[in-house]
Amino acid sequence: MRQVTVQLFGAFSDLDPRREVIVEVAGTRIADLRVALRELLVVRWPGFRAELLDYSAFADTQQVLRDHEALPADGRVAVLPPVSGG
Amino acid sequence: MQPQDSWKVVDRADAGLDAAEGIAFVSDPGVGGIDVFIGTVRDLNQGRRVRGITYDLFEPLVLGEFERLVAETRAAFGPRIRLYVAHAKGRLAVGDVAVVVAAGAPHRDEAFRACRALIEAVKHRSPIWKQEHYEDGDSVWSEGCSLCHAQDQETLR
Repeated sequence: MRQVTVQLFGAFSDLDPRREVIVEVAGTRIADLRVALRELLVVRWPGFRAELLDYSAFADTQQVLRDHEALPADGRVAVLPPVSGG
Repeated sequence: MQPQDSWKVVDRADAGLDAAEGIAFVSDPGVGGIDVFIGTVRDLNQGRRVRGITYDLFEPLVLGEFERLVAETRAAFGPRIRLYVAHAKGRLAVGDVAVVVAAGAPHRDEAFRACRALIEAVKHRSPIWKQEHYEDGDSVWSEGCSLCHAQDQETLR
């Protein structure tokens, strides 16, 4: 298992005042993180719309990371719900 | 960054956005047309009275995305175009400026089209989220465009 720190933005930021959550991930890909975070959302925040994760993206500070890509070496990832700037 | 490009994020707690700054930046003796988009906070959305909006940004990625979008716009409209993007973060009141995009070009057609392309790309691809605050005390995060397949999208056409 690998620990990944997920930075929370938009609607996800309401989950934790520190705006981040530690997720235990069994695997090395973004897809593995998506599965682990989905499970954690259901257990820890049962009132939250966990399905929001299905159409949210992940990113490091440089780029959006697709599900087939590897988790960043520094173990820090941002979760990005659908955007609404402007 | 090309000397004729500028992009930034401005914390509302520090300053408001200034469209005049964008116009001044894209002004140049070689520019014959300037188009500016100014996005402001309005007082009504889907029948609910709005008191303000909080903008949340993943700032390092926003700045990187602005750089990519400006580069794409430049590639589409040519080297003589001048581009400016500024987006607010933090809590804004009704009437406050949330975003300014300015494009200067030798002729009006490129200025209009480049400005439109750039603001649409900013809205659809930048990791920015708005939370609307209503007069009844409720607050709701708006949901717009998913970035799950952003790299597959071609926004400049």
